[in-house]
Amino acid sequence: MDNAQQWALEDPTIGIIFVAASFIFFYFIGWYSARAAKTSTDYWTAGRSIGAVTNGLGMASSYMSLATFMGVTALILKLKVPFVYMWIQFGLSIPLITLWYGTPLRRMGVFTPAQFVRERYGLKTSYTVAMFMVLIMVMYAIGQMIGVAKVFEMLFGVNYTLALVCGGALIVGYVAIGGMYGTSYNAAFQMILMGVAFIVPLGAIMKAMGSSGWYFPPLLYADMVPAMLAAVPDFFDMKFGFKWYFALIPTLTIGAMGLPHLGMRVYTASNLKSARGAMVWFTFFCGITFSATYAMGFSGVFFQATSGATIAPTDYDKITLILNGVYNPPWVLAFVIAGAIAAGLSTISANLMAIGALIAQDIIATLKPNLDEAKTKVLNYSAIAGGGIIAILIALNPPDFLVVSVLCAFGLAGVTVAPLVILGVWWKQANRYGAFAGTFISGILYIAISPYIFPEFVLAGGLPAKLGMSGALLCVPLCFFLVTTVSMITNRIPALVNRIPHEEDKRLVDSIHGWTVYSEERYNSTMAGVIISVVSLFFVIYAILPSGW
Amino acid sequence: MNSAYKKEIRYTLLFSVLLLMTGHCGLFFVAFPPLRGHMIFGFPSQFIIPVLMGWLGLMLVTGIQAKLTNDLDDEIEAMEDVVKES
Repeated sequence: MDNAQQWALEDPTIGIIFVAASFIFFYFIGWYSARAAKTSTDYWTAGRSIGAVTNGLGMASSYMSLATFMGVTALILKLKVPFVYMWIQFGLSIPLITLWYGTPLRRMGVFTPAQFVRERYGLKTSYTVAMFMVLIMVMYAIGQMIGVAKVFEMLFGVNYTLALVCGGALIVGYVAIGGMYGTSYNAAFQMILMGVAFIVPLGAIMKAMGSSGWYFPPLLYADMVPAMLAAVPDFFDMKFGFKWYFALIPTLTIGAMGLPHLGMRVYTASNLKSARGAMVWFTFFCGITFSATYAMGFSGVFFQATSGATIAPTDYDKITLILNGVYNPPWVLAFVIAGAIAAGLSTISANLMAIGALIAQDIIATLKPNLDEAKTKVLNYSAIAGGGIIAILIALNPPDFLVVSVLCAFGLAGVTVAPLVILGVWWKQANRYGAFAGTFISGILYIAISPYIFPEFVLAGGLPAKLGMSGALLCVPLCFFLVTTVSMITNRIPALVNRIPHEEDKRLVDSIHGWTVYSEERYNSTMAGVIISVVSLFFVIYAILPSGW
Repeated sequence: MNSAYKKEIRYTLLFSVLLLMTGHCGLFFVAFPPLRGHMIFGFPSQFIIPVLMGWLGLMLVTGIQAKLTNDLDDEIEAMEDVVKES
C-alpha cells in the first residue's frame, strides 16, 4: 500500500477552498469581536465578559491541538492503552486550576499567573517565572507552527519555508487583530469545527469497518473489541509499572496547572460563577472529543491489524488522514484537513496570547510602568506580533532541544510555575526566598536532566526521560520541598524577613480569597508546611530510586 | 476561625481527591491487577472504567464542585468582613 498517497488529496482545490474559507471566517471573527476592546484589560481578558459555554469551548479548544488529529492517534498506535491513560487526565486541568487558584486570581484581576507571582513574590521571582513561561509557550507553539506549516506544505504543494512564513503570518495576523476577544470567540468556533470534522467522519469510518455503534463513535465500538483482541492481543495491556502511571500526576496534571494559557481562560470569565460553569462545559467538550480520539486510535490499530495494510511508523501520525482517505470521499478528507488546521490554530493563538501578555504585561510593563494607553496598545500588538515572528523564525530551523515532545513543556510548567502559584495562594508562610530558590533550582535541574541537554545525565532513561516524566517526578516535589523548607527557615531569620514586605504578602493571600478583615490564622499553618515538606521529600527519594518504571 | 474558612479548605481538599480519582482511575488497575480483564459494556474493565470516569465521572464531580463552591462564595460574600467580587 502506498501510504504517501492514502491521505493526500488528488485535487487539492477543494482542500484549499475549505482552508481559505475558514481563514476568512477567523479574520472576520477576530476583527468583529475585537471592536469591543477599549483598554489593555479588554485586549488581554476580553473585557472579562466571556460566557460559560463560549469559555468552555475555548478552554477545550486549547487542548485540541494538531496533536489531536495527528500525534495522539500515532501514540495510541505505538503505546496503545497506556497512552489513553495519559490523555484522560488532561480533563482535570481546568477543574483543578479553577479550584486551586483560578477564582482567587480572577478575583485579583490579573492577566497571567506571572502577574500574581510578581505581586506575591516580587519582581526577581516573577521575571524568572515569566522567562520560564515564555520558554514553555515557545516549546508549545513551535510544534504547532511546524505542524501547520507541514499541512500547508502538503496542501498547497509549496516548500516548507514558504508554507511556514505564509501560514505563520496569517495566524499571527488574526491573533494580533483579535486580542483575547477574537481569540476566545475564534477558539469556540474552532472547537465546534474540529469536533465535527473529527467525530462525524469517524462515524462513517466505523460504519465502513462494520461497527454497529457508528452513530456515537466516542463510546460505541465494543463490537470491534473481539476482533481487536484476536488480532492485537496486547492492545489493552498495561505494559508499564506503577511509577510510570504515577508520574503522570506531577508531569501532566500538575504540569497543566502551570500552563499560563489555560489559567488565562479563567480570567476572561464574566464572573466567578460563569468561570465554574465554563469548567463543567469544558469537561463535557473535552470528554467527547478525547473519547473520539481514543476511538480513532483504536480504529487505526484495528484497520492495520484486520485489513492487511501496513502503515510505516513514520506515517503513524497520519492515521486520521489515512482512514479518511480510505473510507471517506475527498471532500470529507478536505474538511478533516481544515479541522486539523483549526485545531493547530486554536492552540497557537492561545500560546501567542500568553507570550504576548507575558512580554507586554509581565516584563515590559513592569520595566516601564507609566506608559499611556496609546503606547500600551502599540505594545500589545507588537508583543504578539514579535512573539509570533520569533516563533516562525525558530521554526524555520529549530534547535533540537526545542523540538521535543510538548509533554516536556507540561513538565517544566509543573516544576517552575504550579508549586509557586498553589503555595502562594494557599499558604501565607511561602515567601520570596523560598519561591525563588524553588523555581530556579528545580527548573534548571529539570532542564539539565532531560535527555536533550546531557544525554548521559538522565533519570530513568527511555520514554519516561524523553517525555519529561522522570524529571517531573523528581523536580515537582523538589520545588514544593524547597519553597516550603526555605520559607520556613528564612521566616525565622529576622534579618532576612525584614528585607521583604512579608506582612503585605500575607495580606494579599486573605484578600484574594475574598476576606477584607485580616486574620493571621487563616492559610498560615506551620504544620501544613511541615507536612508538605516531608511528603515532598518522600517523593523526591521515590523519584531517585531506579526501579518501578 | 469561621465555618466558611473551614469549609473552603475542606472543599478544596475533598474535590482535589475526587478529581484525581476520576482522572487517574487507571492507577487502581495498575496497583490491583485482579481488577483487570472483566468485560464491562463489551470492553475490558481497565479500559472503559477510566475512560468513563475521566469523562462522565469528571463531569459529575465538577458539577457538584461548581454548585458547592458557588454556594460557599455566596456564604462568604454575605458575611460583613469580605470584599465583593470585582
